[in-house]
Amino acid sequence: MNSNNQKIIVNIKDIKYQNWEICLKSKLKILKSSNIEIDSKNLDLSCSDISEIIKIANQYNCKIISFCSTSSKTIVSSQSLGFKSQLIIENSSKNTLKINQKNLTFSKTHFHQGTIRSGEYLDSPGDLLILGDVNPGAKVSAEGNIIIWGRLLGIAHAGREGNSQATISALQLRPVQLRIANKVARGPKTKPQFGIAEQARIDSEEIIISPLETK
Amino acid sequence: MTNSRRSVRTDTRVILICSGKGGVGKTTLTANLGISLARQGLSTAVLDADFGLRNLDLLLGLENRIVYTAQEVLEEECRLDQALVKHKQESNLSLLPAGNPRMLDWLKPDDMQRIVDMLKEQFNYVLIDCPAGVEDGFKNAMSASQEAIVVTNPEVSAVRDADRVIGLLNTNAIKPVQLVLNRVRPKMMANQEMLSIDDVTDILALPLLGLVLEDEQVIVSTNRGEPLTLNSVNSPAAKCYLNIAKRLQGEDIPLIDPAEESSGIGAKFRRLMQTKIF
Repeated sequence: MNSNNQKIIVNIKDIKYQNWEICLKSKLKILKSSNIEIDSKNLDLSCSDISEIIKIANQYNCKIISFCSTSSKTIVSSQSLGFKSQLIIENSSKNTLKINQKNLTFSKTHFHQGTIRSGEYLDSPGDLLILGDVNPGAKVSAEGNIIIWGRLLGIAHAGREGNSQATISALQLRPVQLRIANKVARGPKTKPQFGIAEQARIDSEEIIISPLETK
Repeated sequence: MTNSRRSVRTDTRVILICSGKGGVGKTTLTANLGISLARQGLSTAVLDADFGLRNLDLLLGLENRIVYTAQEVLEEECRLDQALVKHKQESNLSLLPAGNPRMLDWLKPDDMQRIVDMLKEQFNYVLIDCPAGVEDGFKNAMSASQEAIVVTNPEVSAVRDADRVIGLLNTNAIKPVQLVLNRVRPKMMANQEMLSIDDVTDILALPLLGLVLEDEQVIVSTNRGEPLTLNSVNSPAAKCYLNIAKRLQGEDIPLIDPAEESSGIGAKFRRLMQTKIF
């Protein structure tokens, strides 16, 4: 079965086909017995959809190794089933916002709406914007900044690849642990004042938390 | 199959009762909810999916009546009605053990679906008592459910595990998911020694189906094999279970206020002082 260890990427969202099931089946027909990475593009797949994909792959003697997708829903589902999964950010020039004559590019910002619950993990190769809470036991990370429109109660890691300029901002910053680049800090013991958004950043080799300022 | 002649009910509610952490009261809730629903005239089946460590039969006092399990039904060694164990006093309630404690890994999600489909033909409610943990046992039990009740206690570890379970339920498109907060001690809550209701609902962000007050009678009834709701003694927990059963059917019953329940004149007096009525 493992005659070749090469990984073949199978895109299951193709306009040539009616839906992903038909697409997957017809593509697997050609690729019998290989290791597969599924690229589901922007499809939102649930755990049961992913189980279905694995079932279909087994019929064609194929082994699913990993998933990649631009949908964070799909990433969370495939991760909860124990697959290596990677979030991909679509590059598009449309995502530019003009504020105070400054161009803010959102081309590398990933947006996730909803609560990240205990045991879940979300990672972004760019910046990460979360509309919702990050609960205790959950982990979020990004190569750039992390902005949480909600409460941060879990673990956040900004500047995952070593960018020490990265920041972590939240409406309520009460994390278990904060990481920026290669620095680790435990969350503050005292509850923050209600109603003031806060930001964590590195200042003189230490992670500090201060009220969020926008310049 | 003989099933094809019967009409399939579409209004059956299949409810998973789960928690993540063990010992928070899943089985007790399943048993009491089953009895309460049955007493309101609804035919109810309780399915013990925690067959490795099965307890539901003990709680219902039906241990000595079990002959077959769902496993034998699926292998066509017996009929479904032979495996269903009717409750002694509450004839609307039936128990189906999913399997034998000795056969640990026979059940697959497909099997679960077949069992539940069979039960759906006969019952208004199917309550599935889920095993603790988030591994295969939980995934099997989840595979055949439409909605879920998450049971948790007002303590950090139980809330954390419940949160994990809710995440898994959400990614599997199980809706609605409702919350039952079990073993609430009003006195400790009033003194802020225990997580408050708001603390819990803040993190879990689920609609609260009900609170169950801590009650020593629960232990007594478990040991006797007679669920509290069966004899409707004046027990606080039994009242809570009955309210949950009514709310489950859409009745609008206000939640009890734990502050009202914290007994003792001293506590009530102190509260009055705090509210500055005097």
